[in-house]
Parts: sequence; structure tokens; C-alpha cells
Amino acid sequence: MGELGPDDGAGNTYSLRPGLQHRFKSSSVKECIHVILKEKLANVQYNPEEMPELTKSLSETIKDRLKEEGYDRYKMVVQVVIGEQRGEGVNMAARCFWDADTDSCAHDVFMNDSLFCVVAAFGCFYY
Amino acid sequence: MDEFQSGEEASFVVDEVSSIIKEAIEGAIGGNAYQHSKVNQWTTGVVEQTLSQLTKLGKPFKYIVTCVIMQKNGAGLHTASSCFWDNSSDGTCTVRWENKTMYCIVSAFGLAI
Repeated sequence: MGELGPDDGAGNTYSLRPGLQHRFKSSSVKECIHVILKEKLANVQYNPEEMPELTKSLSETIKDRLKEEGYDRYKMVVQVVIGEQRGEGVNMAARCFWDADTDSCAHDVFMNDSLFCVVAAFGCFYY
Repeated sequence: MDEFQSGEEASFVVDEVSSIIKEAIEGAIGGNAYQHSKVNQWTTGVVEQTLSQLTKLGKPFKYIVTCVIMQKNGAGLHTASSCFWDNSSDGTCTVRWENKTMYCIVSAFGLAI
């Protein structure tokens, strides 16, 4: 499974850190999430029967899309929160205990007249 | 050549994590009514308390804790999460808590190193 790093003569090629190109980049993941939300939620109205299915399928879709992006050796967690817009107050926070050098997160918010949707994606490197 | 000892078996114990989360919620927002000016402080308080208790367990895990607090006014809320990880070692725990004026949903994810 390990990605091959440069051979230093002793035959050690298992890299313990992701290369610069393979980091879980916050900005590109956020862009990815944004595109999917715009496409899937553009004209959706809040509907209590359909929302559970939609929330689940959205999280699966975003996770699969991130896998396709090719973040090798990253474990990923995608959380989707969808709520009805009725003027209530909502607050969401997250804290992580990880390796700040290799791990990262991205989030995006989508709102229309009847609902709001928050997606948070976290990526942790597997050593 | 030294043999690598992995020490005690480390796995994500859902019950233990669930009780940690419940204590953190009770401690931070236990008897309070929803107040817009305080909710920011409450969400950060809940996640920080949960995270510090989880790290004290001393297991070889990376943790992610999220908390959503929502005022009760008849609106609906749905959450879902999708994870790409190792099912045998990683785990998640979600706790739903409510009082007369608000809902609080805390999710904790543990990823083995």
C-alpha cells in the first residue's frame, strides 16, 4: 500500500509523510463540495420525508467524489447537516486532535429559501 | 532486531465515548435555555471538553468532534456522515440531547493511527 518515495540507497521507500502534491488541500476540497451542493440542492424544497435519504446520499456522493480526487492513504470523514429555514438559531463547531502537518478539513454552506446545508469534510493521513 | 510491541489492544469503545460526550454536554449547557449570545461559547465548550477527555484516554487515535446546537422552533434537522476508513479499528459515536429550548447533537469520530 505505501506510496514509493525516493530510494535512498538502503532500499527504504515507504514514505511517512504525504508529498506536497498529495496533501488534503482545504481549498480544492471546498471547491469540490461547493460544486456538488449547487448541483444537488439547487431547487430542492425542504420535505421531511425525503430529507433523510437526501442527507445520506449527499454524504456518500461527496465521500466518493473525494476518493476519486486521489487522496492516497487518507482516511476521510464527511458530515452533512441539513435543516429547515424557519428563522431558528443554529451553531456548529468542530475540534480535532490530529497531526496538523498532514491532516486538514474543509467545509461549505449552502442556503436557499427553504433549507440550509452544512458539509464538513475531514482528512486524516494513515501512516 | 527489536520486536515491535504494540501494547494493549486499542479500539474505539462506543459506550465509553458516549458517556464522555454526555458529561461534556451536561457540564456545558445542562440547565440553560437557548441564548443567541452564548451559543457560540457553548458549542466550543462542549467540543473542547469532549476532545480533552478523549485524549486523556491515551489511546493511539486521532479524534474529530463536531457539535450542532439548534434552537427549538418546530424546524426539522437531519445529519448524516459518511466515512472512508478501517472498520475494524475506527469508530464513531453520536449523542442527541435536548431540553425545552434547544437540541444538541454531538458526533465523535476516532481514527486509529
